[in-house]
Amino acid sequence: MSRLLQVRDLRVHFPIVRGILRDRVVGHVRAVDGVDLDLDRGTTYGLVGESGCGKSTLGRAVLRLVEPTGGTVEFNGQDLATVDRHELRRTRRRMQMVFQDPMASLDPRQSVRSALVEPLRTHDIPAGPGGWDRRVRELLDVVGLPAGAARRYPHEFSGGQRQRIGIARAIALQPDLVIADEPVSSLDVSVQAQVINLLQDLQSALGLTYLVIAHDLAVVRHVSDLIGVMYLGTLVEQAPADHLYQAPLHPYTLSLMSAIPIPDPAVEATRERILLTGDLPSPADPPPGCRFHTRCPLRRDTRCHDEVPALREILPGHHVACHWARAPQRNAPDGPGDALPVAGAPSQV
Amino acid sequence: MSPVDPGPPAQQAPPPGAERAGTQRAGASLGRDAWRRLCRDPVAVVGAVLVLVFVAVALLAPVLAPYGPTDTPGKDVVTPTNVPGPSSEYWLGLDNLGRDELSRILHGARQSLVVGVVSLLFGALTGSAIGLVAGSFGGWVDNLVMRLMDVMLAVPGLLFAIGLAALLGHSLTSVMIAVGTVNVPVFARLLRGSMLTQRSADYAMAITSLGVRRRALIWHHVLPNSLSPVIVQGTLTLATAIIDAAGLAFLGLSGTDPAVPEWGRMLAETQRFLSSAPHLAIFPGLAIVLAALGFTLLGESLREALDPTYRR
Amino acid sequence: MPQADPGPPDAHDGGAEPLLRVRDLTVAFTQRHRPDLVAVDRLDLDVPAGSTVGLVGESGSGKSVTSLAVMGLLPRRGVRTGGSVRFAGRELLGLPPADLRAVRGKDIAMVFQDPMTCLNPVLSIGVQVTEVLRRHQDLPRGQARDRAAHLLGRVGIPDPARRLGEYPHQLSGGMRQRALIAIALACRPRLLIADEPTTALDVTIQAQILALLRELVSDTGTALLLITHDLGIVAGTCDTVHVMYAGRIVESAPREPLFADPAHPYTAGLLSSVPRLDAPRGKRLVPVPGSPTDVLPWAGACAFAPRCPRTDSPCTDRAPHELAEGPRTLRCHRPLSAFPPEPPATAPAPAPEGHGTGRGGIV
Repeated sequence: MSRLLQVRDLRVHFPIVRGILRDRVVGHVRAVDGVDLDLDRGTTYGLVGESGCGKSTLGRAVLRLVEPTGGTVEFNGQDLATVDRHELRRTRRRMQMVFQDPMASLDPRQSVRSALVEPLRTHDIPAGPGGWDRRVRELLDVVGLPAGAARRYPHEFSGGQRQRIGIARAIALQPDLVIADEPVSSLDVSVQAQVINLLQDLQSALGLTYLVIAHDLAVVRHVSDLIGVMYLGTLVEQAPADHLYQAPLHPYTLSLMSAIPIPDPAVEATRERILLTGDLPSPADPPPGCRFHTRCPLRRDTRCHDEVPALREILPGHHVACHWARAPQRNAPDGPGDALPVAGAPSQV
Repeated sequence: MSPVDPGPPAQQAPPPGAERAGTQRAGASLGRDAWRRLCRDPVAVVGAVLVLVFVAVALLAPVLAPYGPTDTPGKDVVTPTNVPGPSSEYWLGLDNLGRDELSRILHGARQSLVVGVVSLLFGALTGSAIGLVAGSFGGWVDNLVMRLMDVMLAVPGLLFAIGLAALLGHSLTSVMIAVGTVNVPVFARLLRGSMLTQRSADYAMAITSLGVRRRALIWHHVLPNSLSPVIVQGTLTLATAIIDAAGLAFLGLSGTDPAVPEWGRMLAETQRFLSSAPHLAIFPGLAIVLAALGFTLLGESLREALDPTYRR
Repeated sequence: MPQADPGPPDAHDGGAEPLLRVRDLTVAFTQRHRPDLVAVDRLDLDVPAGSTVGLVGESGSGKSVTSLAVMGLLPRRGVRTGGSVRFAGRELLGLPPADLRAVRGKDIAMVFQDPMTCLNPVLSIGVQVTEVLRRHQDLPRGQARDRAAHLLGRVGIPDPARRLGEYPHQLSGGMRQRALIAIALACRPRLLIADEPTTALDVTIQAQILALLRELVSDTGTALLLITHDLGIVAGTCDTVHVMYAGRIVESAPREPLFADPAHPYTAGLLSSVPRLDAPRGKRLVPVPGSPTDVLPWAGACAFAPRCPRTDSPCTDRAPHELAEGPRTLRCHRPLSAFPPEPPATAPAPAPEGHGTGRGGIV
């Protein structure tokens, strides 16, 4: 089937506990608070947001590395919440994760060879002719590492190389879905492009489906087909990558885009910046109504404070969670769609 | 699988002569790396030498010592007011019964080593087992066990050991059990804490996401990574075990078999000679200090050598 | 005033000496059982009064070490520092600690990357701001508190009088960074060094902080040395940009020419390897191959040679001299755009470290 992943109303609430002998729950951190997401085979979904928005938690909840508090995650038609531990282990073959910090996500005492063979052995995959060494060599080759890397240890590599090892481990099982949680943000700038290119090449070579989680909208836009913008546990906007840039409709997306530095002095000098005020509210105590309204430069007196905006389809394929979002029109002066210039954008479509 | 092209030089190791922080020969596991660093650390070398001398003496005492532990070669020379100190014939002097001090010290090493090692093993293995259980299961098991350990830790170590040894009767065995028991909560807490840290590390999550079973994760990944602080603590505890055992012997809790010299007891028995024949107290005391020092220095250097963040 | 026109006492310095003048700065860390790690390798840098200068580099480029060396914050043991750092005509390297302390905070101030570790967690914000004021300006406590509250308000912290009593952990990341900036600017320094001031912050907060820095710098006339790895940030903030690699500056230029027409392959590589929000999608990125640790020592070659797509024989044989054309300088054997080429036969045998005899012109 073409829909690989379907997430409905996913919630992940972490209890806040106090107490000496027995833990007492005094509240919840609502890291993910009702997110819907669809991912088709062979495509890339980019989930973008700043710290505290819950995007990493969502990625882990999809893999059930963190237990969801509510909602459903359907992978390949199968509801992951209902599977038992053994079935979950088997399903894990098909969905893998690439982590942000490759030094932390590799066991420092494990050689590269051992790290790559372990998943294969765990799932009883036979070594085949040539043994494990051949498989390891193939994997290293695919991610652009020399065969000699197999007997080395993580601390002997540079950051970019370690990330390649992490990627090799993730694709060793030939999964269908790869969730990449901040795959390049801990790497040097000149190395980031290498890994981005690698991920894209692997996707076309192996037919992978990606969920890319990152805070860098430029990177996400570059690699994704569909982009979701998260704020404080919910999706505020979702659109195809081109549309999102040309016509961002949610005020948060607008300010996010206007905040991203562009290495071009001419653009930087003339772009309009939409600066947010105030601080990020605590996920344990989100604001009532629209979560963004406390910082929104376009907040209005009615509805924003009381009603939670639902994710509405304003344009085909373009969903926005804002009461006042309107499809951009040449003449109508209403709504954030054209009330503000799109930061730094080339002339509109 | 079809190869993909990520960009040429990334495939090669850095060119020869390239400057690269932390370069080791290929395949340098953390263990080998630690060993290399230990070998270059002067503190570690001094500690290792002291430890080796101590162990060699303990093992080879019957061969090295000029006299047996109960021989009294100087019986005729010694009087209550004249206990000769070091001389060319008796290197460390004689004790009040005419026994050769050097031989007694050498034989006593064996006792100290045995007591130190056995009590350490008892404490470390028991404590680690408890810590492993607490660290693996978490939840109420962890809570319960750790509160028990807290209670044990609340009692001052030496006092606890004294009480236990007194309860178990005056013998060497009871000293070993007592000193060992005192160390149980230390190791339990250490291993459990170390494991909890490792279990929440990213790699534990990464390996779980591969589908590895929890048992394999704990046994093959978390536990090996949790052992460094335990190893360091082990060497340091050996030092304190020797001192504690000497202390208990000093207090008379280890039994009074005169055939078996013990440094702590030697200190106790020679208290009244402190002004007239100080060598009788100095040498056993010095022996205790040096043995403990050796293990302490070794342990401290091990701590640095095993710490991955020191790798630079 | 020629921005990056270096040179020992000479006629090339047209006019007054720049506010900060770094010449031949070398910082080497001694290592046991290994050769010294040279973090900064004969660096030249100028920061004219009132200007904003960007120092761009990745990890291992030595940019942070440079700022620490200027501030005299490097450890004394295990570090070898050489060269000259002149601030307002006065040599800073080798100054006794008491004299350095008088300069730090008052004339030169620094803002670091991680505000949480740079603020003392057990002292309130108010105390940390007034501490600087009282140290350098000897204000009585009441006056110092008033000025501190004014400063916090100036950097955009709402309700500043109340915040004086708060502790760092009670503030958000953006607020902490603002507090750090307030502390740095308390005594109206002539030079502010900001080392990755926004790297630890979310991008929307980053925009706020950068806007604040721009505003403060233009209001007070403070010179700003902004150290970062992000070319986007310097594009929006700095008049002059220096690109640093493996301890040396490989290219410097005023903002517009650098981005429009980079001459050094590394600069061009950085620009082409970063996805741009305003560029069309789908264009494959052109990465800089290898990693920042793949370097050759500057003593015998161009450090960037292992990663450079244009490497050829001079690049691995000898270090490139620094060339200058107007306000631009370049250290490259085979630059991208037409830079005055180095005449091969007439060049004198280069000194072992590859550093030429004359500067401010063709060797």
